[in-house]
Amino acid sequence: MLPDWMKKSDNYAPPRDGGAFVVKTINSIGLVLSRLKVQRGHEKEHALPAVLKLFIVLSVIVLISVTQSRLLLIGVLAVTELYLSTWPAEDILSIVKACVFAAVLAFIIMLPAMILKPYGIGNNLIVILKVFLSVELMNIFNHTTQWNHITGALRKIHIPGIFVFTLDITLKYIVLLGTLINDLLTSLRLRSVGKNNKKYQSVGGVMGVTFMKSTEMSKEMYEAMVCRGFTDDYSGL
Amino acid sequence: MGYIKLSNITFTYNDDEKPIISDLSFCVDRGQCVLILGDNGSGKSTLLRILNGLSFPQSGEYLFDGEKITENCLKDNVKSKLFHKEIGFLFQNPDVMLFNAKVYDEVAFGPRQMGLSDDEVDRRTKDCMRMMGIEDLYDKAPYHLSGGQKKKVALASVLALNPSVLVLDEPFAGLDKKSETFLMDLLFELKESGKTLIIATHDEARLERLRDVSLRL
Repeated sequence: MLPDWMKKSDNYAPPRDGGAFVVKTINSIGLVLSRLKVQRGHEKEHALPAVLKLFIVLSVIVLISVTQSRLLLIGVLAVTELYLSTWPAEDILSIVKACVFAAVLAFIIMLPAMILKPYGIGNNLIVILKVFLSVELMNIFNHTTQWNHITGALRKIHIPGIFVFTLDITLKYIVLLGTLINDLLTSLRLRSVGKNNKKYQSVGGVMGVTFMKSTEMSKEMYEAMVCRGFTDDYSGL
Repeated sequence: MGYIKLSNITFTYNDDEKPIISDLSFCVDRGQCVLILGDNGSGKSTLLRILNGLSFPQSGEYLFDGEKITENCLKDNVKSKLFHKEIGFLFQNPDVMLFNAKVYDEVAFGPRQMGLSDDEVDRRTKDCMRMMGIEDLYDKAPYHLSGGQKKKVALASVLALNPSVLVLDEPFAGLDKKSETFLMDLLFELKESGKTLIIATHDEARLERLRDVSLRL
């Protein structure tokens, strides 16, 4: 039996209330998830094998780390930037942002050395350039290779199974839990039809549910692994 | 002119993929019950997201009570809240709808924001819990309930907002026989009271007596 208030329409005028935080968070999570789920990025249909790309990237990073030649560093920088310039602007921006962040961090770390020994500034700047280049190369590799190809490549170069397994599961859980958080925040947004004086309590609830769900999921996955013969020995993975 | 009107809606998740919804048009009048039918992956949930203003089509027009619903229009805080107050959405997975510490708080979440008096909030909350048969779960944590109980709490929390349109994604999934009968009776009552029902389901036969229009994707 429906109550009387439900049989008629409410004469309701919602107040203005800031809800931008939830919408922005949903959008940000959605962007990350779509990147992880689709994960094609700039990988072309006939791209180089991931293991070859990984080998090249690691070799170049080792090379630029040990080299003293400024000419070589500038050459690598020029080639990398030339390659990046063929990409869409938004992808260039996301890569450059990460590189600049890493370079600024390196600058802050080296600042005391630059102040104490000003004659070594040239060398310090080269280290910062090396950080910038290394992060840029890894970012380009990440953008042009699917996750499953990356983990496959890591196995091929004999990275220990436990490391690859942990990386793979972590990525899967980021997608699963990210989807859960996204749906919970969407539901929170749909039901926030007026003035919510306890916004942070609601967001805390979303975080609590996500934590409990992640605990439950990891327990269930462990039990499923045990049922399929797992004996806490990761070496065979 | 219908209460809800979609004209030539086309939606795709990625520009380089085939549209999941292509050139879809339909119209729903106040108090009607529409069944959205289709196989897995046919676009039922996507259509429900469009109806709730969570996704926006690449082309076509969506009118709700004569007002065009677009991403820009829902950026207006007041319009968005009024729209979401009028159209209640029950997700297929009730887990994603429950984020409060107690069942009572979960159901009272919507009414508490509507500027109602404490007595009125309490009355609405208790009415919804009684209607759904979950009064005894008053101070339980929603997370630890069974799947069927979670679904009832989620539906009670949507009904507490008194929306004029109810959009239900697979409402019978995970319910036992008794709860299915209970929900069916409730849907009949809601329809009789003038609520518009839009239900995505695989089970056309069960809702045969309730439906006015079917839409097969």
